Amino acid sequence: MATSSHLLPQALHMIPRIPNLSSKSLGVSWFLPRASSVNSRISVSRVSLNHPGAIESRKRRVIIAKAEESNEGETEADLEDVAETVEDTGVEEAKTPWKPRTKLGDVMGILNKKAIEVSESVRPVPEIRTGDIVEIKLEVPENRRRLSIYKGIVMSRQNAGIHTTIRIRRIIAGIGVEIVFPIYSPNIKEIKVVSHRKVRRARLYYLRDKLPRLSTFK
Amino acid sequence: MAAVSRGLLSRITQIFPIRSLTLSSSQSLPHSNFFLTQRFSSEITGAPSRIIEAKPVEMSGISKRTGIIAVKCGMTALWDKWGARVPVSILWVDDNIVSQVKTVEKEGIFALQIGCGHKKAKHLTMPELGHFRGQGVDLKRKLREFPVTEDALLPVGTELGVRHFVPGQFVDVTGITRGKGFQGVMKRWKFKGGPASHGCSKAHRKGGSTGQRDDPGKVFKGRKMPGRMGAEQRTVKNVWVYKIDPARNLIWVRGQVPGAEGNFVFIKDAHYKKPDVSKLPFPTYLSPEDEDPSELEPLVADLGEVDPFMLAE
Repeated sequence: MATSSHLLPQALHMIPRIPNLSSKSLGVSWFLPRASSVNSRISVSRVSLNHPGAIESRKRRVIIAKAEESNEGETEADLEDVAETVEDTGVEEAKTPWKPRTKLGDVMGILNKKAIEVSESVRPVPEIRTGDIVEIKLEVPENRRRLSIYKGIVMSRQNAGIHTTIRIRRIIAGIGVEIVFPIYSPNIKEIKVVSHRKVRRARLYYLRDKLPRLSTFK
Repeated sequence: MAAVSRGLLSRITQIFPIRSLTLSSSQSLPHSNFFLTQRFSSEITGAPSRIIEAKPVEMSGISKRTGIIAVKCGMTALWDKWGARVPVSILWVDDNIVSQVKTVEKEGIFALQIGCGHKKAKHLTMPELGHFRGQGVDLKRKLREFPVTEDALLPVGTELGVRHFVPGQFVDVTGITRGKGFQGVMKRWKFKGGPASHGCSKAHRKGGSTGQRDDPGKVFKGRKMPGRMGAEQRTVKNVWVYKIDPARNLIWVRGQVPGAEGNFVFIKDAHYKKPDVSKLPFPTYLSPEDEDPSELEPLVADLGEVDPFMLAE
């Protein structure tokens, strides 16, 4: 840029004013008194050109130090901060810390997780996957609170937070029956995984076309 | 800025009418003088006509409370304490505040303008910014007016929360429905269409006849035909409020609510299944000073002490 060469003597003049740099506070303590943002940016580039080893190695040390102490996700932000805090050092101290705001998209996920926690505290749910042969004890409120027992193979598992359901298939009295159970329902009193069959699918809808022998469980 | 300075100037010219201002144009001199004296006299003689305070008041049978604005979050299913499954919609009441009070003296009706959500100043137009600055209220994303009765007025800046409603009451929920696009006559107007077979020629989903013959010789207005469906305001009535969470400003209502997730809905007391007057906070729920909103437990509707399934036997 033509302007950079024009401003070079000013930038060189400003270099001795930079205070002693400490590795931790490289970005924050660079307080250039009356420089505009353009000037300060140019002076940074000038400095790096004139003192290639010193400043850049310090920068690298700063970045490495920050990467070690912070998480992996924050190294990118630190790199940007080191490069850009030269301009807004005065403003940074005045900013209030950012309060994490729950976004609308997270609301359903958080509520489902909390509801599942509550349900798990009452009755823990074992890990159920497609292909498990499972026995369920269900309390039907309409049927005078009797416990009915359902056994069968898990054909599918639909994940929907608190309304996560499994589909059980069994041949009852010569007829194939599929029942859908929400596993976190308070009406289910017990779920027990009896055994497991090796399957190579997530949804076993092919059992509907197969022999009844494959869906029979004593 | 412009709104404040305009208001200040008008006040100054009323109290100290400056001759130099009125003499600016000779033609408008009598009109402007007349105008200033009128406003001057009304300001001095008319005492502030209405002092609105946020105080709990007895609710009468003909009183009407304000509604609130919420955001639809989604739907799930919960089980109540007797094991019955309740499909619910979750509504999030995001920082509702009274942004304007309309009275009969000035606007002709009694109404409260409620604001919901947050908005940055760079996303608002100058008239909207002036309105918020004039009222002294934070910048809101959605404004909506609710007509109320005189005893239900609240001062500007009153915050409305989720506790305005009581779990177990019925509400009417209004929202803009999901847009369905250009739809045919069977989906839009629930026509039966034509027969699937028996020689029906290419008219399985059409509307059929559109009218008579030479007399009247035209198609009447309002004839149901294909067109754009959805994206209009609808009200779902008598929705049962199942649960309220004051710490997170959430309402669980049973069933469906118009609109898509993330859209605004407007909740009011039900018109047909009127709630019990003594149980509702009137004009709104005013939280006591020492109450910490983050420590309140969710309130669930009262489902009775007796198991309803046992009774059915």
